[in-house]
Amino acid sequence: MFHHVHSVAKFWRSHLQLKEIIFFKLSYPQGCPKINRHDFGDNVIPSVSYCAFTNSTNLPDMNSLECKQGSHVSSETRDHQSVRLTPDIEKKYVHSVYDAIAPHFSSTRFAKWPKVAGFINSLKPGSVILDVGCGNGKYLGLNPDCLYVGCDISPPLIDICARRGHEVIVADAVNLPYRNSFGDAAISIAVLHHLSTESRRRKAIEELVRVVRKGGLVLITVWAVEQEDKSLLMKWTPLCHKYNEEWISPSSVPTRNHSTVMLESIPEADENSHHHGNQSNKSQTQSNGEEAHQEYFVPWHLPFHRAEIGGATASAIENGLAKKDNKKGAMVYNRYYHVFAEGELARLVSGMDNAAIVGQFYDKSNWCIVLEKR
Amino acid sequence: MRLLTHNMLSSNVKGVVNGFPLRLEASSWVEKEVEFNADFLRSMFPKIDWPALAGAAQKIGYAALPDTADATMLESEDFLKKFHHALLEIHVEEGALVCPESGRRFPINKGIPNMLLNEDEV
Repeated sequence: MFHHVHSVAKFWRSHLQLKEIIFFKLSYPQGCPKINRHDFGDNVIPSVSYCAFTNSTNLPDMNSLECKQGSHVSSETRDHQSVRLTPDIEKKYVHSVYDAIAPHFSSTRFAKWPKVAGFINSLKPGSVILDVGCGNGKYLGLNPDCLYVGCDISPPLIDICARRGHEVIVADAVNLPYRNSFGDAAISIAVLHHLSTESRRRKAIEELVRVVRKGGLVLITVWAVEQEDKSLLMKWTPLCHKYNEEWISPSSVPTRNHSTVMLESIPEADENSHHHGNQSNKSQTQSNGEEAHQEYFVPWHLPFHRAEIGGATASAIENGLAKKDNKKGAMVYNRYYHVFAEGELARLVSGMDNAAIVGQFYDKSNWCIVLEKR
Repeated sequence: MRLLTHNMLSSNVKGVVNGFPLRLEASSWVEKEVEFNADFLRSMFPKIDWPALAGAAQKIGYAALPDTADATMLESEDFLKKFHHALLEIHVEEGALVCPESGRRFPINKGIPNMLLNEDEV
């Protein structure tokens, strides 16, 4: 059995001579997706076909990679300024939210995700692993034979990592302060879905590839549109058309297969109104097969007893960052998410000539991809 | 912040052509013992920019490192011990990292460098 991802990658390339993985659309009952086993545990099996959802009512029609090639976001005029400039939506609904919920968020993030742990444990001893968007640092130090440097944009989360004795810095995933090709591997776990434009998501991937050496590996995981627990979607607030116009891409005309197609059915809602996902559950059923919604606010409930840290709660309410939910006895913060559709990660990578896809899988409502730097 | 991290940090201020190495200004540092691992040091050596490491160590008053180093030195236990100490055991607690071209100062507080840029530097 291959225990070592590097030898697997070589086997992978030589044996299959496939520059890119071809996706086959196999029809499977709508229930749980049939996934080709591609664990990074002890038995790493290169996977050439990927099975997708089909004919389920509220999931987009999965078609093979090729035909969706040209359908991604049209001109990114929103990004005429530097792609490295942080849009307001991320400052308000990502950075300041994580800063506000850091201790509570950290206390709930401890479980190590087997697929990520498997990837880290399969790396050569002595590897330098760069964890970009390390949050509370739960993966730092996982494989004792390796050396870790973590970074995150949230100072409170980085403080938590430092107190645990990890080597960490405050940095921006879209503009990493590392010189080229130093790391042996990089991981980006549940980070890219907080970036609000396609060009920023692509830039973040380019940075991950830039900072690892030739032959180095990059593991990226992001939330999937296809959530295994459909009820979760009910709790999320789809960003309405008006909202998308202002924040995401004002000039892009929402076409049928535009990756950020909005749901016209949602009444014109002010972004801070009490707009519970379930009120607009009609928006979840994509009867006309239009692509599912990808821009969401996902709530974080910060219990009152944790929220009372000085004036933070009052100021959070004031600037519309959080709302009180007396029934649940919690402050509700909205976090911005762009959830990924199948094939979207591979599409972002397709333009990069120095990165090859050596693994892809769907796991626990996340799309995951492994790249090797060429 | 270890000198190993310093060895990979680079200034990404807009317009800077080569932001490496950042000039280290350390006002306080501590030394923490780390388990010695010769294999690890040998695998790390090719990655390290030696002048940057030796220069940073000198700034902190650790002058035991030779100005230049090559792979043959990896056979000497004495050399490995010094390399180990400088790379992993010195932790800068307070200070700054200064961009060699723009002069921009990135603070180090409680051992954590903050490399975030302002909007006009991106």
